Amino acid sequence: MKTFGEAFFEEPRWVTQQCCENYVEMHPNRMNNFCCGAGGGAWAMPYDAERIYYGRIKAQQIMDTNAKMVIAPCHNCRDQIMKGLTKEFDLGIETKYLWELVADSLVIEPWTEEEIKKANELRDAQYERDEIDLDEEW
Amino acid sequence: MEPLTINRKESKLRVAPEWADVCFTCGTCAGGCPVTGVDGMDPRKAVRMAALGLDQELIDSRFPWICTLCGRCEYACPQGVEILKMMRRARSLRERDKVPGPIHKGVAMCLERGNNLGIPKDDFLFLLADLSKEMDEDEGFPGFYAPVDKKGANILVTVNSKEPFGEPDDMKFWWRIFYAAREDWTTTSTEWEGVNWGLFSGDDEAMKEVTGRIVKHLEELECSTLLLPE
Repeated sequence: MKTFGEAFFEEPRWVTQQCCENYVEMHPNRMNNFCCGAGGGAWAMPYDAERIYYGRIKAQQIMDTNAKMVIAPCHNCRDQIMKGLTKEFDLGIETKYLWELVADSLVIEPWTEEEIKKANELRDAQYERDEIDLDEEW
Repeated sequence: MEPLTINRKESKLRVAPEWADVCFTCGTCAGGCPVTGVDGMDPRKAVRMAALGLDQELIDSRFPWICTLCGRCEYACPQGVEILKMMRRARSLRERDKVPGPIHKGVAMCLERGNNLGIPKDDFLFLLADLSKEMDEDEGFPGFYAPVDKKGANILVTVNSKEPFGEPDDMKFWWRIFYAAREDWTTTSTEWEGVNWGLFSGDDEAMKEVTGRIVKHLEELECSTLLLPE
């Protein structure tokens, strides 16, 4: 639970709260929380029934929040909840990556003509170096 | 049945017989584990098996792979038994061709071709350019492109191969954030894999190699920050 021996519990919660007005916790949470069931490579294991059985606790936690959307900070959690648990436990909930939530919440200050021009030049130089031709059939 | 020799030297799981005393057999680990009962197993039983010399039986069982290495058992253990280390060691000791599912194949593919799914460099670069064009021309991000092997960029970004392989548009979430932040970022044309499956398959050598590639990219491209969006 502690990535690199350090628990990053508050940072993703802060980010989520900047994007959502009504944020609710699951219970239990942080160090007492439960794995979604797809961790440790289990998403790729050939033990689907066991993975769904494992996830029943996460499914119940999600249902108990009555939330409309669940945020996952991990590819495996997102896939397990979105493609596994939602269907198996009829959760009726939308799942997003944490960074997907951020991407969907952005208010973008438009780039200036100058910025666009400079980026286009860098892009063209890179595509020439890498021999990228988007008009070419492949 | 052959007699079992129980000592630190004989134990494949590197478990000392003292564990038999350290573990109270209280079952706190088992009580908090979501897969207690599957195959008649639980973390407490796994610890007993290791303490009693039934290493091979544990290694051959499905339990270390049904366990997600979440660590809830170890966190709750009043005696500090290193259950996670034991479980992953059991995975390491499984013969490589008997590692369940695709993860060992992915590790071998990554070592050979630079990513777990064997996506060729040309296809990857073309895909990035194609997606970039969509953002630039159709999705409201004029000037956007995905920088590759850009020396001196602030952030080096690794890629989860499932995205270019099956969910390419999902790469745009980060790209949109970079665009809004005017971030100076880059990824690499080869060996960009961010999913280090050696962690899960119990393959320390492969883990080291794959991690070393990322460190090498950071040094060669002189990037100050690594973003590993896993």
